[in-house]
Amino acid sequence: MARNFPPERIRNFSIIAHIDHGKSTLADRFLEIGGAVDPRKKMEQMLDSMDLERERGITIKAAAVALVVQVDGQDYLLNLIDTPGHVDFSYEVEKSLQACEGALLLIDAAQGIQAQTVANAHLALNQDMTVIPVFNKVDLPHARPEEIAEELENVLLLDPSQALRCSAKTGEGVREVVRAVVERIPPPKGDPSAPLRALVFDAKHDEYRGVIVYLRVVDGAIRKGDHVRMLGVEREYEVEEVGKFTPKMAAHERLGVGEVGYMIANIKRLGDVHVGDTLTSAKGARAEPLKGYREPQSMVWCGIYPVNASDFEHLRTALEELKLNDSSLVYEPETSDALGFGFRCGFLGLLHMEIAQERLERESEIDIVQTAPTVPYEVLLNNGKARMIHAPGDLPDGSLYSEIREPVVATHLLLPIDSIGAVMKLCSERRGVFQKQEHLSPTRVMLTWDLPLSEIIFDFYDKLKSSTRGYGTMDYDLPRFQAADLVKLRILVAGEEADALSIICHRDFADRRGRAILKKLQKEIPRHQFEIALQAAVGGKIIARESIRALAKNVTAKCYGGDITRKRKLLEKQKEGKKRMKSLGRVEVPQKAFLAVLSTEE
Amino acid sequence: MRASQRLRLAAAAAPAEMLREDGRSLYVHLPFCTSKCRYCDFNSYAWSGQSLERHVRAVLAEARARAAGLRPQTVFIGGGTPSFLPAPLLGELLQQLDEVTGFRASASEVTMEANPESFDDARAAAAAAGGVNRVSIGVQSLRAPVLRAYDRVHSAETALAALRRARALFARVNADLIYAFPGQDPQEWQEDLESVLALGVDHVSCYELSFEPGTALTRMRDAGRFRAEEPERGRALFERTRALCARHGFGQYEVSNYARAGAACRHNLAYWRSLDYVGIGAGAASWLDGERRKNLELPEAYEQAVRAGKDPVAEAERTDPATTLFDALMMGLRLPAEGVLLERARRISGLDPAAACGATLDELIGEGLLELTPGPARRLRATDSGLPFLDSILTRLLAVLRP
Ligand SMILES: Nc1nc2c(ncn2[C@@H]2O[C@H](COP(=O)(O)OP(=O)(O)O)[C@@H](O)[C@H]2O)c(=O)[nH]1
Ligand code: SF4
Repeated sequence: MARNFPPERIRNFSIIAHIDHGKSTLADRFLEIGGAVDPRKKMEQMLDSMDLERERGITIKAAAVALVVQVDGQDYLLNLIDTPGHVDFSYEVEKSLQACEGALLLIDAAQGIQAQTVANAHLALNQDMTVIPVFNKVDLPHARPEEIAEELENVLLLDPSQALRCSAKTGEGVREVVRAVVERIPPPKGDPSAPLRALVFDAKHDEYRGVIVYLRVVDGAIRKGDHVRMLGVEREYEVEEVGKFTPKMAAHERLGVGEVGYMIANIKRLGDVHVGDTLTSAKGARAEPLKGYREPQSMVWCGIYPVNASDFEHLRTALEELKLNDSSLVYEPETSDALGFGFRCGFLGLLHMEIAQERLERESEIDIVQTAPTVPYEVLLNNGKARMIHAPGDLPDGSLYSEIREPVVATHLLLPIDSIGAVMKLCSERRGVFQKQEHLSPTRVMLTWDLPLSEIIFDFYDKLKSSTRGYGTMDYDLPRFQAADLVKLRILVAGEEADALSIICHRDFADRRGRAILKKLQKEIPRHQFEIALQAAVGGKIIARESIRALAKNVTAKCYGGDITRKRKLLEKQKEGKKRMKSLGRVEVPQKAFLAVLSTEE
Repeated sequence: MRASQRLRLAAAAAPAEMLREDGRSLYVHLPFCTSKCRYCDFNSYAWSGQSLERHVRAVLAEARARAAGLRPQTVFIGGGTPSFLPAPLLGELLQQLDEVTGFRASASEVTMEANPESFDDARAAAAAAGGVNRVSIGVQSLRAPVLRAYDRVHSAETALAALRRARALFARVNADLIYAFPGQDPQEWQEDLESVLALGVDHVSCYELSFEPGTALTRMRDAGRFRAEEPERGRALFERTRALCARHGFGQYEVSNYARAGAACRHNLAYWRSLDYVGIGAGAASWLDGERRKNLELPEAYEQAVRAGKDPVAEAERTDPATTLFDALMMGLRLPAEGVLLERARRISGLDPAAACGATLDELIGEGLLELTPGPARRLRATDSGLPFLDSILTRLLAVLRP
């Protein structure tokens, strides 16, 4: 595949789908049809590349694959660009889509349209790109393509007569999908003689080769040895190698208009590359940046503290290492009265936070305490300036600001008709504002609600699942900031303010949340040898109180015959549990208690 | 000195002299019971027809391998339910055990555990004839609904009859009782305890009902089908038990054990004083010459190992100095009167207890939870207010000794 294709024979596209609707399976079929590897040599070559990967320890996921297919006797180069599936990464999805002229909207013909189908379709339709609906899994006996055609028309306003049907599993209809890609998706437009402009749509870190930048050439061309500049981050590099994914990385002389591939340019840190940035030539006139670049926005923040203060530097190193592979992670040092020195960390969303934390604990083996996640708030100060805060403790005194704004997201909820009532109730309890209701089919609807993001991060998804017997799915668009009557709810343990436990919440909910948090703390904090007072306050006013009674007795009644090891092990466990606790004054608080503020139950 | 304290000391004093520090004790475990009680997490099994003879043969084989010529100063036949063995088999076990270890000549105390449903005249006689001089009866409760809730297979009457039978044949009798059944009326508990004391036992073990991992009762509690008593009520019953026993002349010489003067269980004292013991039988634990070991728990696995001529050991550890010291404190602090003899703790562990426990020890003493006795033979012991929080105290000591 050393040859270069002229733009009119190139098609750049993505597959977008709800999870499990068959994206990976369909991509595998495409690879079989148009993969660079000759089927006869396939095994051998695949093994080769695996050996190579093993040797070098690379685990570079091909975020883009070049395929050569024949349609009506003509060869075409198809670049299939992968997109992350989850809403947390919708900015990345958007950028991947921006590298394409079209997308296959893959829908499970048995399950029908789901929330991620809608969210992804919206992202694609907003970009003015060709969207080809494809009903997958038509081999399933309970596939119902007719009904799904109806859903497509009702919810996404797409013409169902344009939809294709296939089975990624059996291969049925897949050729027709390939043909549609060639016939319906327009070839890339661009000016080959203009100065270089390329879109950075993804980047990965490789231990041996540094950062690998995934790009799509819009105008001009990029070659080995070129001096290039990233417009957004304002850095310059000399290109060491450009190439394509076949799916393994293969070096090429140059990448021209419409082509998709990678660049290696001695970039050390993933943080130096921003997805969505524009790559141009370092010499000559300054090119216009491509549209839509912005800094990744962290929508969920939490404090991460080492259990042992002495692990602080280890934690810093661990976060640095994590950031090597995850440029969306942000962190800054923070101190807390209760927890000491730690970091305030920002994530794209809850899923991103969970993934990052899991890796942090697994890879670093540091015991950490995590505080409850919070969304960012925008505070309008009296001097007219707006300030973003990422921790409830950072909220200035009430006399210093005139307004607090919180992130609100348009949320799409897809559910069976009989659970509308329950879901409407859930959304209104969560301070939602109803937007619209659309019927997908006689049995399913899509509700759109504007919901404060802070309300979604408190077990909303679980509640949705239980109100819809598991059938409901949800997704949301990018947030906007909106003013709300928010207050800081302070929590006091044994008379001392516990900054790590305070939260920002709506004034009307402060009483209820305060009581719920205290109840939860009452359960999570073990009894001590003295009684512990728990209080919740807004401003100077105590709005709720509870107490934890003093320990009545703590002695093993029966000490087994001679099995002393066993008894010691039980105490060892108690000791380890104590070790992982944090002290708030004289009170030892287990890690779980710091998540008590997530509790919404009374 | 308050009356209760004086009693505690008196109860401890006499048998202390009868235990040699260089002596050894022998524990023999028999794992079978008529059925499995809901609260029980011992290594015990409802008997399902397997050969008891075969099991006893295995126990004796292990004794020959590990306790030949032991000449123990105390013996404890526990379980499970030793009285579950038919009288002739029980007699044979005792006789052969004596042939192997010489316990009849060496031991000043030979205890056997028994449960009311199986402790009949024949077994009682076989035990006495075999050298048993102390019997411990599992009474647990004298209330029918409670016995039912625990899945015990005997009635209150059978239990009282068993105690009378024991009293007739044995000078020393203990009754095991459990308190803090949810909703238990303190007055009823007091009456039960008093009826047992009135039968002339010289020792009672009063355990607070606890929820051990893996028991049926714990599963029921977790499923919401059984409630645990409020800790405050448990504590109140504990205090009531202490006071009542004191009134009847029973000293609290261990957290849950009360005895008349000189009637403390010497075998258990050997554990609490960190003296050496050899445990024979399925799941039995041993502490010998600085090594802790434990046998295979499952009776079948145990028998198989022994039959194959192998040592039925499941785990063994040679404890390091800090662990040895901690173990000595963990066991010794359970004895509110005698506590831990610091000099002995130092001798067996090689560590100076005060230095090894550092500031934590001073804190615990400062908080009034532990105290040091004056005089040359210094002892560390839990105070009246410290004893109910012994696990909290030990956790803190453990954090310094094994950080
Ligand atoms: N019956 C059937 N199953 C399919 C088809 N395509 C995918 N699957 C199955 O659906 C599941 C999810 O597919 P996958 O490609 O991993 O979904 P993804 O999450 O969208 O990448 C897998 O178990 C596939 O084997 C199809 O056409 N027919
Ligand atoms: S009789 Fe004793 S050993 Fe047997 S199950 Fe009941 S409590 Fe456990």
